[in-house]
Formats: sequence, C-alpha cells, structure tokens
Amino acid sequence: MSASVLSVRDLTVKAHLQGETRTLLQGVSLDLAKGEILGLVGESGSGKSLFCRSLVRLLPSSLLKIEGGTILFEERDLTAVTDAEMLKVRGAEIGMIFQNPTSHLDPVMRIGDQILEGIRYHQGINGRDARAAAIEILAQIGFPEPVRQYDSYPHELSGGMRQRAMIGVALSCNPQILIADEPTTALDVTIQAQILKLLMDIRDRHGLSIILITHDLGVVAQTCDRIAVMRGGRLLEQGLKRTILSAPQDPYTVRLIHSHPSMPDVALPAVSAPAPSRAATRPLLEIDDLHVRYPTGGSLFRGKNARTVGALSGVNLQIMPGETVGIVGESGSGKSTLARALLGLTPISSGHVSFDGIDLFQQRNAGLARLRREAAMVFQDPFNALNPRLTIGQTLAEVLKVQKKIARADIPSRVDELLDLVGLEREFVNRKPRSMSGGQCQRAGIARALAVDPRLIIADECVAALDVTIQAQIIDLFRKLARDLNLTLIFIAHDLAIVRNLCERTVVMYRGEIVEDGRSEDVFSRPKHPYTAALIAAIPDIDPDRQLLGHTDAASLEPIQSFKRMP
Amino acid sequence: MSAGTVSSSPAGWRLRLSQRLPLVIGAGILLFFLLLAIGAPVVAPYDPILQNGATRLQPPSLLHPFGTDNFGRDLLSRVIWGTRIDLQIALIGVVFPFVIGTIVGTIAGFFGGIVDALFMRLIDIILAFPFLVLMLSIIAILGPGLSSFYIAMALVGWVSYARLIRAQILVLKNSDYAVAAVSLGFGRFRIMFRHLLPNAIAGSIVFAMSDAVLVLLSGAAVSYLGLGVQPPVAEWGVMVAEGQSFITTAWWITLFPGLSIVCLAFGFSMLGDALGELLGVHE
Repeated sequence: MSASVLSVRDLTVKAHLQGETRTLLQGVSLDLAKGEILGLVGESGSGKSLFCRSLVRLLPSSLLKIEGGTILFEERDLTAVTDAEMLKVRGAEIGMIFQNPTSHLDPVMRIGDQILEGIRYHQGINGRDARAAAIEILAQIGFPEPVRQYDSYPHELSGGMRQRAMIGVALSCNPQILIADEPTTALDVTIQAQILKLLMDIRDRHGLSIILITHDLGVVAQTCDRIAVMRGGRLLEQGLKRTILSAPQDPYTVRLIHSHPSMPDVALPAVSAPAPSRAATRPLLEIDDLHVRYPTGGSLFRGKNARTVGALSGVNLQIMPGETVGIVGESGSGKSTLARALLGLTPISSGHVSFDGIDLFQQRNAGLARLRREAAMVFQDPFNALNPRLTIGQTLAEVLKVQKKIARADIPSRVDELLDLVGLEREFVNRKPRSMSGGQCQRAGIARALAVDPRLIIADECVAALDVTIQAQIIDLFRKLARDLNLTLIFIAHDLAIVRNLCERTVVMYRGEIVEDGRSEDVFSRPKHPYTAALIAAIPDIDPDRQLLGHTDAASLEPIQSFKRMP
Repeated sequence: MSAGTVSSSPAGWRLRLSQRLPLVIGAGILLFFLLLAIGAPVVAPYDPILQNGATRLQPPSLLHPFGTDNFGRDLLSRVIWGTRIDLQIALIGVVFPFVIGTIVGTIAGFFGGIVDALFMRLIDIILAFPFLVLMLSIIAILGPGLSSFYIAMALVGWVSYARLIRAQILVLKNSDYAVAAVSLGFGRFRIMFRHLLPNAIAGSIVFAMSDAVLVLLSGAAVSYLGLGVQPPVAEWGVMVAEGQSFITTAWWITLFPGLSIVCLAFGFSMLGDALGELLGVHE
C-alpha cells in the first residue's frame, strides 16, 4: 500500500431544516490508499452513503451543506474547488456504482454506447478506437460475447449482468477511485460472489482504490483490506480487516459482528428440538405434485396458442404441525409462488394442496375459509405490506373484527396484547406506517399475522429489506413466537445463513422444483445436490480465511427469470 | 436516502410554508366566492335582472363599479348573483361524475376480466364522440335547462374518473397490503372500499379540482349556445356571451364576468395543487 490517494479530515455535513439544524456527518476522517479496498459498514441512516456522496458533492438535497473539513484528492481540496472542476472529478477521477443498476442505467440506450459515452467524454478517444475500447471493457467485466452484447439494452440483461454493465460504465471514465454503494445487496448470493470477485479483479488489474459500502460484514470480510464502521454520522472505528473482525473495540462493532448470521459457533438450538413423532400426527400442510403455470404471450385473439411458463413444476412437500421450515433458493426459483399457492392466492394449475386434511383444489371454499382463519402471511417489504392510511391499531382491530374470534369489547385489549407480543410500545396503536421504521413496520406486520391467531405463518423474505441488527431482532422474535405459541412456520429467504439459524428443516428450491429437503444441519454440512453446494459456497463468510468458493460452479447455472417481475 | 429526506411530524399536518401557501390562497378564494353567493341579496347593490333604459352601457363608475350592460343592468350585482349559479354548476357538475366514475372504476379495476372489458368498451364509445357534441345531444333530448346540463355532465363526465381510479386500483390490488387483506379473509367490498379506494382516490380529488374549472367552462359554453342557463338569469358564461357583440365599445361587459371565471378557476387549481401535496399524490 503506497501513499493515500484520498484523505478526508473532519468532514461535517449538516441539514438545515426549518428552525433546526441536524448534524448528519460529524467530523469523519478517513484515508484511502492506492489500490486499497475500504469497506464502509453501518446500518441505513448511519451516513455511509451520504459520506460518499459528499466526496463528489452530490448531496441528495439542497438543504444539506458541507460545513467543515477537507477532502484532499491529488493535492486539491474538493470542498473548495469550483463546480466546473468538480464536474471533471466526477466520473473521470471518482466513479460510482449503485445498489440498483436498473434505475441507474439508461433504459433506451445500448449498454455499449453507455460505456462509449464515458470513453469519448473523459478520455477523448473517438470513432473506431473508442468502440474497440468499449468492447475491451465489456470483455473485462465478464460479458461472454462482448461484440454481440455491445448492442444489448439494459432490460435484456439479468440483474447480475446489469450490475456488471454499471461497473463497465464507471470504468469507462478510467477513474482512480470507485465508490460502490451496496453493489450486491439486490443480487442473489451466487451472483454476489461473482460481482465481488470482479471488483477485486478490477482492483488488481487497474490498481484503483475502491470504497465498498455495505451492511454485510461477510462481504467486507471477503473483499476489503480495511474496514471503517459508521453509526449516526460518526466514524466509530477503522482499521485493518483482521484487526477489526478479531478484536473490535467499539461495542457497536461487537454487536454488528455478533449479529452477523453466518457465525457458525453460536449455534442456537433449533426451534422445537424434539420433532413430533411424524407417524402419529397428520401433516398440517400436504403438497402433492403441485404445478403452477402462468400464461405468457397470449391475447384475446390468440387465446388458443397462448404459451405458459411453469413457475412450479411438481412440488411435493409435507409439513408437520409445529415444524419450522426454511425454503431457500435464488430469485425466480419459485419460492414466493409456492407461498402464494399454499395460501390460495395464486391459482393452481394441477396437483393438490391440502391444509389440515382439506383439499384446496376440490373443496375450494371450505379449504379457503379454513385457511383464512388459521394461516397468515408476513411480507417482504414492511412499508408496502401495511395499508398506509390506517393506524396500526386500526389495522389490527380490523383483522380481529373480521375474524370474529373474540368479542368486540375485547378487541382493544387484544390489540395491546399483540403489540406486547411483537415488542412494540402500546403507543404505536395511533401511529401510521409512514412514521415508523422498517423494523417497526415489520413487527406490526407480524402482529397483524398473529391477530388471526394462526397455526401456520408463512414469512416471505420478511427480513430481506432490513438492516442486520434489526434482522437479528426479527429472527429472535420469530424464534420466540414459534416456541411460545406453538406455531408452524414456513420461512422463505434467499439468505441461507438466516435459515440455518432459525429453521430445523431446510428445503432448497431451484427452477420451480425442490432439489433438496432435510434437516438444516444435514443440508448445510452435507449438501447432496450440486446446486445446494454452490449456494452454500457462495455465502460470504465473516471469517476472512474462508475464501469465497463456488463462483466457477455457480457460473454454469444459467440465470433464471423471476415471475414476480413479469407483467 | 433516509438521511436526506425531511421527516414529517407524526401527524403530518405541519407543513412547510411553500406547501401551505397554495392551500390558504385556494381555500381563501373559494371561501370568498361561497360567502358572496350566500350573501348575494345583501351584498349586491342592485337587482340583477332589473332593466333600466336610462343607464345603458355605462362604463365603470363609482355608482356602477363594473359598469352596466346593454339593458342597463348593474354588472357588479349580476356578477355577484352569478356566483350562486356558477358555484352550483362547478359543484354538482363534478360531484356526480366523480361518484359514478369512482365506483365504476373501482369495480372494473378490482374484478377485471369481463366486467372490466365491458366498462372499458363503454368508456371507449363515450370517448369516441366529441365531448361537447355528446353533451349537446343529450341536453337536446332532455330539453334545455340546468338540470339537463347536470344529467348530461353525469352521463359523460364520469369516464375520466373511472379510468383514473381503475389505473390506480390495478396497481394497488397487487400491493402487499391488498394481498395481505385477501389472505386475512377480508371480504371483497371491504378490500375495495376500505383498503384500496382510500389509497387510490387522492389523484382523483386533485383531478376533480381542475375538472371543476372545465365544468364551469362547459356550463358557460352550453349556456352560450342557449341550452343551459336561460336569460335573464345572471350567469358568468351567459354574461360573457352577451357582451360579445359590444366587445369593441363596452369591454367591461365581458371583462368582469370573465375575470370572475378566471379567479374561481385559479382558486380551484390552487386548492387542487395543495390537496395533491397534502394527500401525497406526488410522493
């Protein structure tokens, strides 16, 4: 590591709201060495994104101002240069890539041309040479057929390829520093491993410095040289990766490391330890050769030759009362479709789903009535899952009123009870989702599911949108609820570490089929199917000595399209 | 970017000045016209339909601040009395289409399939005719008058509201909270009218405010053609029409009722914008 390319001293950013001034970044000092990958870790709202945006003066609102400090970059203070000079720094010297490549790529411009633009503007190369350079970059960032794919539009690419294209656009300007803001958060683990490997690859080849913003300590452990931990606009500590991970100083860092779900040693006991004797009890949920197909391409006048796409093909599954089952798989593997089919929210094409002995296909009305009274769902996006116009109290009371399981007079006290159960203060009765955090909304969503007084709860990716420490809290809540209320829990997630922590049984799905089903310990320690093995190998472990494996295996698996994103 | 957004207070009612100003102006203007309409007998200095040959076509003066028209009627009094009719036109002409369109749109969007197809084709048919031509033919069948105008407005005007609401419902019915409502065993009408509609309606309310202006203008147009408000009743649109033949010699006959229409329209659109902010349409 040579001298630092970027040196930030006492950077302070304040927001000037009506009548009050809030400090968003307080005296942050950081150095970035040449060819170094710095991991910036923290929860949402910790100011890590804001810090990086301040570097290139792209503050998200005019109410925010850089109040103090210096940003030294190539012997210039970036806080003092003019806007015209700043324009040259952005892109040309400091490139950025973001979490969601879909919204940061121009949808009506070919990928190649988007890269070409940077080359022409910042490197001054034109014509055929520029095109050749763009194709060279496409090859570097792992496009298998760069000449043909030069003409692809963003919507023709998968999420992983789009993120690669974003990196390509950033590289086209030949920057010295690359700021990557949660570049892999929206991606599946196997794709994440590929992108992280690509970033390290680029660092080695171009010698550029990377600031990697992430909330996943596993990602940091696998890729970064140094770690900086932020919280509430302050830099809590920074240091070499191994030092921080093995001997964290700040209590918050300790908590962050311990809430990382891949910690294998603190193996919490799986939920209901002695599995109920399976022969004796009847399965609560029985799925037999379930197929779900969606029509595509058909229309009113071409109804007959409408094609279908199978989202689930031949799923067999039995779930016993009191079991905690995790369903894992990448996006598009049919996990969510399975969840919706189980609750009768998606029409079944063929096969059988029976809930507590009632077949949902044959006795649809009776089955659904039963299901609505005894099963409930918790959703992925906590903000979208609650009606924004109703207070939490109204939301819960409505469920109780419709379900008619308790007398009307008892509803207010039951609402309080439910809030206690999920660990929300009682004053949340009068709050609306908009004024609550993601974790609080998710707790309210769980309370709503519990209001049904269900035997079965299906949680669909319900922690994917939350910060790690909040994730750990919600997982703990589920563990407690499943134990105390004797719930059957189906927990759908793409994060294998969470499933291993919470569930006694794991089901792995791939392309609409169940490829593996067994006790979690067995599945994770001795995977039978190569896909499961590839999934497990792609989890970034918090131990830096356990290298990311599996990218070669995973690359052979073709990308699959998710049905959730289909029109 | 949670760090960058300005968090609203828990109640969400404490607004910034830039948001509050249009609300105050819009509501103020409408309130002013409402008071004027209610107090017309007291406020108006003259009888609005009393003709007086001695005071024909007088320009604005202290005695007649807005001047007089070709029958010698005091224009200020006529504008004040006209407020009654015009507010009524804007209100009734919007409320009925709004209610009908919202219900139809909600049902079409929620149920989809054949119900949706039928309503949408009906809307296509209505939209295929020029708005005014359709209005005029309905009024011609029912006979001239204000009530015919309201009926015609209700029959033709609901289509825009139906389309607006339907599009919203189509999006919202796939939202997680709608799916959650289904999975919790809520009835269809509860989901439609308690969960989806309140979240979908904000855009329609804002649209209704700007639509009120259009209704006002079509009321004036229909009256101008002799099918709406009948003379000698004072109505701004009719007054503008009456002043047309004197526009070069007695500009005040057209100007003041015209300005009143502009003011009322401005009030509605300001209120529409403010409501849009308040109801979170732009979020």
